[in-house]
Amino acid sequence: MFALVKFFHRSPVRMAELACGLLTTLLLLGSLDAQALPLFARQTGQNCLSCHAGGQFPELTPYGRMFKMTGYTIGARTVPISVMGVATYSKVADTSKSDDPAADFQKNGAPLFATGSLFLGGKVTDNIGAFAQVTYDNYAGQAVGDSGNNDGRFQGHTNADNMDFRYADHLIDDKRDFVYGLSVNNNPSVSDPWNTAPAWMQYVPVPSPTSSQFIDGNAPFASFGSGGNIAGVSAYMFWNKTIYAELGTYQTANRGLSFLSAGINDANTTKLQGSNNPYWRLAYSHEWGAHNIMVGATGMIAHIYDLGSDTSDPGNLGRVKNTGLDAQYQYLLDPHTITAQLSYMRQVQDYSPNTLLNFASPFVLADGLTPVAAANPSDTTNVFRAKLGYVYQAKYGGSVAFFNKTGTANTLNQSSGFDTNGQITSTDPLGTGIASTRVTGNLSGNPATRGFTYEAFWMPIQNIRIGAQYTAYSKFNGATDNYDGLGRNARDNNTLFLYVWGAY
Amino acid sequence: MNYKHIFLAMTLGAIGAGCSNIERSRDLANPAVPGHVLAVQVCAICHGVDGNSTSPAFPRLAGQQAAYIVNQLKNFRAQGRSDPAGSEYMWGLSHHLTDAQIDDIAAYYAKQKVVAPDVPTDPKLMAAGKDIFENGVPAQNVIACAACHGPKGQGIEAFPRIANQHADYIVKQLNVFQINQGRPGTPMEFIAHPLTGDNKDAVAAYLQDFPN
Repeated sequence: MFALVKFFHRSPVRMAELACGLLTTLLLLGSLDAQALPLFARQTGQNCLSCHAGGQFPELTPYGRMFKMTGYTIGARTVPISVMGVATYSKVADTSKSDDPAADFQKNGAPLFATGSLFLGGKVTDNIGAFAQVTYDNYAGQAVGDSGNNDGRFQGHTNADNMDFRYADHLIDDKRDFVYGLSVNNNPSVSDPWNTAPAWMQYVPVPSPTSSQFIDGNAPFASFGSGGNIAGVSAYMFWNKTIYAELGTYQTANRGLSFLSAGINDANTTKLQGSNNPYWRLAYSHEWGAHNIMVGATGMIAHIYDLGSDTSDPGNLGRVKNTGLDAQYQYLLDPHTITAQLSYMRQVQDYSPNTLLNFASPFVLADGLTPVAAANPSDTTNVFRAKLGYVYQAKYGGSVAFFNKTGTANTLNQSSGFDTNGQITSTDPLGTGIASTRVTGNLSGNPATRGFTYEAFWMPIQNIRIGAQYTAYSKFNGATDNYDGLGRNARDNNTLFLYVWGAY
Repeated sequence: MNYKHIFLAMTLGAIGAGCSNIERSRDLANPAVPGHVLAVQVCAICHGVDGNSTSPAFPRLAGQQAAYIVNQLKNFRAQGRSDPAGSEYMWGLSHHLTDAQIDDIAAYYAKQKVVAPDVPTDPKLMAAGKDIFENGVPAQNVIACAACHGPKGQGIEAFPRIANQHADYIVKQLNVFQINQGRPGTPMEFIAHPLTGDNKDAVAAYLQDFPN
């Protein structure tokens, strides 16, 4: 796998060509044979809708959840490779209120081949299986030209995405139905079978150009502060299809486990202290008729080096504590699929002593003289998200989602403010002429962000999805109007997002 | 705790274990795995360990005629039964099954005890359904269900048990017989043809709540 990742890392153009070629093949095959399926479907021989509610991946059906919990071991071993490609188009409502629209809204209104993923996995033995995604991002960064600045050319990049390696067993008798297992993974809750878990709740796909920075996939969702690209092991059990429990712990994905963050440079890899970063999950599940419901809770404590990648100085160590609640309802009976999801996450982040020590706000109050308040040593945020979706005949679907993030205001999180002339400016503390942060500027230091997302999609065949999504903000970075102090309003970030998603 | 060692142990376990867990295997391509193991490890996820499935998307198999289950599984395996739900879920699962595994799966479900679903049914619908089940619809040339499926709807050999089956499943299968011919080679194609929507709803409701 390393070799494969390295190969693609060195040859992004070849990866793009390969992905395009495979996608074309897929389209040709797809039009001839609707039974052309990705690796898990090849393994069981079943249609995508067996495991994915109404065929809308990644949301799982009760059977799909059992397929995952039993370690991806149902079926027959097959070619363990799938590919996925996404073409996208993003258009932001207002690109004029920006100092540098070309940088703030790259590829706005342009159709793109955004990302391609390679999946390796499936059944290995009767007890062991895997799900490993390696993603190529066609717009990961920009090349540096002779001037030392970005020269506008984009560079692709390949890195480890969600990975989940499992051992599982399933004990069944007259009175007992007991699944238990072990997961080695790189993203807290990626092992979770329900789609209200942080790793699975937001809308996908999520392309990277800055014109896509306001699509729902980048809007607040109930996530863990640790993020992904870390290495963890968890033990889980599912008792009588009723109680699910999981307990795990995470550490930095380095040394022998660096493949879990392959392709991500050291500076961007989350650094955790030791391996005492516990993750837990408890859920109650019930099925009746064509209905099923889950109510659950989850949490994690991560000791994160939050100031660069220097792990030798204990003064760089902060702590993030997450506590979440979630619930999901599904009605699955052909031709109808109805899903209602709720998730809530509270996060308390204690900043490291050095982060606070080194922090000197570049801003003053409106009088141009009085210093802004000192940074709070900790922040609390609350994210609530609700989504209601419907799919007809596993072909036509739509959903509406609401997201609301609230939290404490902190001068540490202010990225625009008043300078000594009493003028509002965006963050540029070193005066080096760095790119404008006006579009994502935050005048209040308050994270409050709220909005709705509407989506409609069509699946002409089971492995192609064509979707249109619109995300509308009523609040962004703490305010409805003029959130950056430079005239940009929350609604200016409303974004239309179109995508074509294929997998084989 | 050393993650590297855990991962190494899993990898070595994977290599060492091979396909040795025959008694709890979910391998659909290993003829050595007994059918009754596949029944509880794979089939049971949708059809229930005791064959009394929860979701009407999946037929109840408890007490089903073994000969009927064998026929259907062989039909799925040969891709002869092509109603949408059948092909989407069952073609792949049955693809590698051996005749011996199919016999074993059928025997497992045939011996399971039927637990009647606890669903309240409109008495008028029950009465209409009972009439069709026992007497057919002479005016539409529909013969009584009981004539082939038995007076208690218990089935006889290749004629399936229909008592206590999910109403939604019954209606959908009657539609398959009437409309898309996804289940060729059964007399139901002709028998079901004249049934009206009301007929189907009534008989399905009666069968689901079949008095025992």
